[in-house]
Amino acid sequence: MDQFLQALINGVMLGAFYAAMMLGFSVIWGVMGVINLAHGEFIMLGGYITWVLNKGQILPGRLEVDWLKMEPFYALPLVMAIMFVVGYAVQRVLINRVVGKPHLVSLLVTFGLSIIISNALKLTCSADPRITETRFGGAWNLGNVTIPVTKTVILGLALVIMGSLWGFLNHTRTGKSIRAAAQNKQAARIVGIDINKIYALTFGICIAITAAAGTMISPTQAIDPFKGPPLTLRAFSITALAGLGSLPGALMGGLLLGIVESMIGIYVSGIGTNLAIVAAFVLLVVVLITRPQGLFGGLRPIQEAEQL
Amino acid sequence: MSAPATVDLGSGVARTKIIGLGLLLLALVLVPLGTQVADQTWVTNSRLLQFTQMFMLITLASNWNLTGGFTGYIDFGHAVFFGLGAYATGILMTNQHAVQWPFWAALIVGALVAAVFAVMIGLPTLRLKGPYFSIAMLGTFVAMREIIRVSKPLTGGGVGLTLPPYLNRPLFYYLTLGLAVAVISLMWWIRRSEFGASLIAIREDEVGAEMRGINTTLHKITAFVIAGFLTGIVGGMWAYQNTFIDPDVVFVDSRTIDLVMMTMLGGLGTVAGPVLGAASIYWIRDVVWAAFFDWHLMIQGTLLIGIVLFVPTGLIGVFRRDRSGTSLLRLWGRWFDSRDDARPEPDTSPEDRAVDTTREP
Repeated sequence: MDQFLQALINGVMLGAFYAAMMLGFSVIWGVMGVINLAHGEFIMLGGYITWVLNKGQILPGRLEVDWLKMEPFYALPLVMAIMFVVGYAVQRVLINRVVGKPHLVSLLVTFGLSIIISNALKLTCSADPRITETRFGGAWNLGNVTIPVTKTVILGLALVIMGSLWGFLNHTRTGKSIRAAAQNKQAARIVGIDINKIYALTFGICIAITAAAGTMISPTQAIDPFKGPPLTLRAFSITALAGLGSLPGALMGGLLLGIVESMIGIYVSGIGTNLAIVAAFVLLVVVLITRPQGLFGGLRPIQEAEQL
Repeated sequence: MSAPATVDLGSGVARTKIIGLGLLLLALVLVPLGTQVADQTWVTNSRLLQFTQMFMLITLASNWNLTGGFTGYIDFGHAVFFGLGAYATGILMTNQHAVQWPFWAALIVGALVAAVFAVMIGLPTLRLKGPYFSIAMLGTFVAMREIIRVSKPLTGGGVGLTLPPYLNRPLFYYLTLGLAVAVISLMWWIRRSEFGASLIAIREDEVGAEMRGINTTLHKITAFVIAGFLTGIVGGMWAYQNTFIDPDVVFVDSRTIDLVMMTMLGGLGTVAGPVLGAASIYWIRDVVWAAFFDWHLMIQGTLLIGIVLFVPTGLIGVFRRDRSGTSLLRLWGRWFDSRDDARPEPDTSPEDRAVDTTREP
């Protein structure tokens, strides 16, 4: 029983992280119809920026300064600001060229982008796994169940990020413009929404959220340049489960995947952690075949967007 | 570049092209003799290895093109068949528990394993459309790498397997050359057969093809199994030639995307496209690799983006204007167009209009 409870707690914490991690992917897909295969690499990029700030590695491996060393969770707003600018620029230069083109074009272009980002990270920061140090360490013990403090902070941050995004999309003028652009591009244009600006803004915001996931993951799991693709695959699975841009769906899908993975990790001895990615994949295929519209409605249902 | 003439459709292959191809083939057959005539020639053992790898890539790209180019199902995890072929061959040849199999038998069984897996995975995934199929296959690939890694008693896990070394470069040269010629001929024949025409009909309009009496499921699975079987053979040969396999070497991420890149550079959905693309990218990369080792993957990523954005029809499409090549834009554009045509009149309800947001007006 204790073991089960522990697996459940770990699963919920992992699941909330997954939900926050995949939001950017899902909203970009929902709004501009681009499947961003470089998603996991943007998470890693966020993680590496956090690592640079945390360790004061201005030139990774060459120049280390003591005065910079920041608490990773306090560095979050800075990382998000930097990555917003990066995302905005990437959308303007590259992604804008593939919006509205067939999916394969955007898949291949973002795949190229993912190769470039991961190898740029390898060249600048080396392929060694990196981990940041946080002062929010330790754990609370409740009976035989352990609740790690770091992961609780991550859970809180994930909920705050999801809540803010929900509020932004539903209750601000810009957020409503983004939803309008997702629902009907022509009509949005007619009522005076600058589609290109909205797209760039959306991409910037989504990349900022994505990079925040990198910051959140960096104190608990080592980051390395090639850890991106499994995260992209999970983001894709949860999106298929949740529906495009659906926040309740993201939370439910994230929790489901997190709990399944955590249960496999605990109950399948030794090899369970390696099989977690297999669980994500099986979930993806089963959902795609049985319910291609996802379990929850979103910005727009997948099957209408793709005419499946 | 061994088969440029096969682009020619319908009108019969010109005699000059047959003679040209024959001479090219003869030249390729004679290349390994270069090691015999003198000590210091252009042909060395490492040169033969380069050619061997190029022939393998040509074969793999042609196989990928059968599902990706002809049938229109873009497979992002095709290297899973390569990996299964390599591992099945490796396991049988290094069998610790019973008798060790000879290379030939292991190779055939390895390819059969890949083919059986193609049936198993194709039945669910080939029902998915467009990007969903692509990502499901990518998932298969990533999942298979982990399954191989955890099946430690059988596959050696992360430590890998070491096959009996056999450094006979000319043998592998001829094996891969023969396989490449056979596969190109097969693709050439398929392209002209009723089977190939049905595959292309599925690519152009799957519902329409089904309505005209094509058993689309059977055709898709058959194409997938042929591609899987041939890819499994290449995997087995690669394992024996490389003598060492582990999950990260065999299931390296770039293995599939290389094939996509090569086929697209050459021309998706043509017989000569993958051959041309694989040969050019192999030699280009060889130069880049030698000159900027650290940077070669970044250069490759940039190249991929450049090809997709600026040469969408591929080299065949650039050189020839008869539209025998199928550009990505046309292939995927057509998927959407055929859906639109099926609709009798433009629907203006918000739900249906949402479809158009993925396309330029």
